[in-house]
Amino acid sequence: MYGFEALSFNIHGGYLEAIVRGHRSGLLTTADYNNLCQCETLDDIKMHLSATEYGPYLQNEPSPLHTTTIVEKCTLKLVDDYKHMLCQATEPLSTFLEYITYGHMIDNVVLIVTGTLHERDVQELLEKCHPLGMFDSIATLAVAQNMRELYRLVLVDTPLAPYFSECITSEDLDDMNIEIMRNTLYKAYLEDFYRFCQKLGGATAEIMSDLLAFEADRRAVNITINSYPYGHEELAVCEDIDQVRAVMEKYPPYQSIFAKLSYGESQMLDKAFYEEEVKRHCLAFEQQFHYAVFFAYMRLREQEIRNLMWISECVAQNQKSRVHDSVVFIF
Amino acid sequence: MEEDRRKDDEDNKLALQFMDSLHNYLSLTHSLSSTLRQGWLELASAKHSMGTSRVNTSVLDLKSHSASTTLKITENDDGTQPQFTLQKWVSSEHESTKLEDKNEHPQDSDTKSSDNDEVRKERDKSLSVFGVLISPKLRATQLSFEKALETLIDIANMRSSVLNSFTQLHKEVEDTKE
Repeated sequence: MYGFEALSFNIHGGYLEAIVRGHRSGLLTTADYNNLCQCETLDDIKMHLSATEYGPYLQNEPSPLHTTTIVEKCTLKLVDDYKHMLCQATEPLSTFLEYITYGHMIDNVVLIVTGTLHERDVQELLEKCHPLGMFDSIATLAVAQNMRELYRLVLVDTPLAPYFSECITSEDLDDMNIEIMRNTLYKAYLEDFYRFCQKLGGATAEIMSDLLAFEADRRAVNITINSYPYGHEELAVCEDIDQVRAVMEKYPPYQSIFAKLSYGESQMLDKAFYEEEVKRHCLAFEQQFHYAVFFAYMRLREQEIRNLMWISECVAQNQKSRVHDSVVFIF
Repeated sequence: MEEDRRKDDEDNKLALQFMDSLHNYLSLTHSLSSTLRQGWLELASAKHSMGTSRVNTSVLDLKSHSASTTLKITENDDGTQPQFTLQKWVSSEHESTKLEDKNEHPQDSDTKSSDNDEVRKERDKSLSVFGVLISPKLRATQLSFEKALETLIDIANMRSSVLNSFTQLHKEVEDTKE
């Protein structure tokens, strides 16, 4: 019953909620970002990060550093936090935490299949996969020739199996079919996650439905921007960014996002969406006794890693004036 | 005396030509540097937008395929100065068709518009290794690096012109000393 989580949540979820709130307080602050934005080299960035929770992950990396190394090591921190929480969680929190990784699993499947289509070495592809999306039989994806084989040989034993019902065809895997598969799987995953959260009920259902709906809308707008004139319902008739704006401005939650963009400007749309996403995830921490804080923490940490990637690229390319183009400050 | 004046004029003309070529060469190298900087930053922006799993070297296609852009080297009439021409977006279906050939004669508007569609298709095909739905930032990256390639060819032609002018000027100076 909504409103009475305080009576029983802490029995099973209290310890992990405290852990995740502790992790939240370890996110980089404005002062950290100010220091990072003034760095001249990647070694300076490493030095500044040594005083943060990323310190132990970067301290043994030899110079010269590369931006991909910084991103990989910071991702390991996120993976360790996640694994610690997962191994301590009981049902239904453990299932909830597993749901958070299915998006990465879909991305990894698409990466392996695309790379195999382009005759890349499987080992090389496995190294590029996101660690949160790994599963045992992932390397076997390379032998599949079409969707049916993909499902039958590999994915039937993975959590993605239920999402494949709309994708199973005997058509060969090509760039277009792979893209359709990616987006169909992600749609089915978001819908399934939404249903799971609704079953949990209470504050988890209320907050997660808002976060997942925003994620779905953001993906729909990005698909439209990246592929117009083909799109989704009303977005389908749009032929440029200004028409997309005209459609989206009818919905109050998105008015503020598109208000930040000048006409014809699609480059800053990503940043505007990320800022709105961060705002919603931060708000999730304002309430207690629900699971959405775990989802919000994972997403905020991923945003932080994106920020670090962008700052590192700007420093490495000697383009520090462009740092604020894409950095989204958290808290 | 008339002849001396004419010779002086020719020498001055050669010297000016040499200085102009050198100035253009330096301007082009500066332009190349800024175009490449822009391209690399746009690539980083595309990685930030689409994610590092979608934009990385491991998705590049290793299957054998013909080059979409080729370089043609010709020489001028007296064989002293090579000329570089870029043949961009050669259609993969009709390899002998040059869709975009710099320094060729201008085309009429209908031919130009159908060629532009073909060029757009070839550009999309080239980017399809990163997926079908790609960010506008990645398309901007492609255009930047395409412009950089054109600038490189202009630099090669300009360098050829500089060397040719220098050779002629040097020869004139040597002749004058004699």
